[in-house]
Amino acid sequence: MSTLVDLFSYVAIGAGAIFFLAGTVGLLRFPDTLTRLHALTKADNLGLGLVVLGLLPHVAGVLPALKLIAIWLLVLLSGADASQLIARAARRGEPRSRPGP
Amino acid sequence: MTDGPARSPAPAANSTMRATLSRGIGLFALWIVLMPSAKPADLVVGALAAAGATWVSLRLLPPASGRVRFAALLALLPRFLWQSLLAGIDVARRAFAPRMRLAPGFVTYRTGFPRGQARNNFATITSLMPGSVPVGDGPDTIEFHCLDASQPVVEQMAEEERLLAKALVPGERHG
Amino acid sequence: MAEFLLGAAGFVLAMVALGLVRILRGPGDADRMMAAQLLGSGGIAALLLGGAAIGDDTVVDVSLTLALLAAFASIAFVQFAPPSSPGAPDDEERT
Repeated sequence: MSTLVDLFSYVAIGAGAIFFLAGTVGLLRFPDTLTRLHALTKADNLGLGLVVLGLLPHVAGVLPALKLIAIWLLVLLSGADASQLIARAARRGEPRSRPGP
Repeated sequence: MTDGPARSPAPAANSTMRATLSRGIGLFALWIVLMPSAKPADLVVGALAAAGATWVSLRLLPPASGRVRFAALLALLPRFLWQSLLAGIDVARRAFAPRMRLAPGFVTYRTGFPRGQARNNFATITSLMPGSVPVGDGPDTIEFHCLDASQPVVEQMAEEERLLAKALVPGERHG
Repeated sequence: MAEFLLGAAGFVLAMVALGLVRILRGPGDADRMMAAQLLGSGGIAALLLGGAAIGDDTVVDVSLTLALLAAFASIAFVQFAPPSSPGAPDDEERT
């Protein structure tokens, strides 16, 4: 039973780590500001979500688990809003928004 | 500047009362989650903090700016999580591909949400969808930046809007 | 399990550090701000993993604070970053 729970944690946290890797690779490899924003908003939020999911079975009690979820939601929602604002700032700040298709 | 007939601010007091109560209870519950303690002194501090936070939230986000039906939103939660997973996988596949398949571009989506809280919430939720990030808006449009602009982004967003129309209630009532 | 959690924390931290290269390369302030955002979400993940590894619950509060700071940092950036063209109204479509 506990090995099953551990397996769940390994898988979730391992997958989360891979999404952090993907986010960083995207942030470095993607060609322009707005595409890099995709890497950040999608991959990293998911990475953190999976890490939180993997940690949930290891916290003692319902309230600490809810606290972890609250942190994730805070990061998720503030990150989503921040990324929209950053996108607008980026388009304001850079006259040539991207190289042509 | 939209057509907004600004009809009937009638049950304003009623909705303020309801918003105050629900936000106050929600924020106090959040306090309990963040500071799990049953000591009376802690609970008093928590109640004061929740009251202060409620006051600030009513100042910054008046009930008239629209509201969210949390039950309806919660029913859509599994779908959001699934979409978020697909979005992460989509980005990861593109990032790891030796030759990145990117055809970035802008897509303008015509939305039924008037400018305001409901549209902001809609934009926030759509930013979790695969392949598109909201990057600007006009009077009745939202502009998305897409990793692959040839995808059927408009259809996808229309579907999301249809589902979310029940959960996100705009400020001025439109019929 | 503890070793695995610590290893994962180290890996995520390494990813954050690698992402910070974006701060050096830029080119725009928005790109740099994104790397700072990554420092927020990745730092929180690493903190939570490390805290779980050593069994210290107080780390959760540290990560909560980091989450708030990351949010405020982005808002501050958007609020105070100098716009390129003063007096220009809202951006038009320049696809």
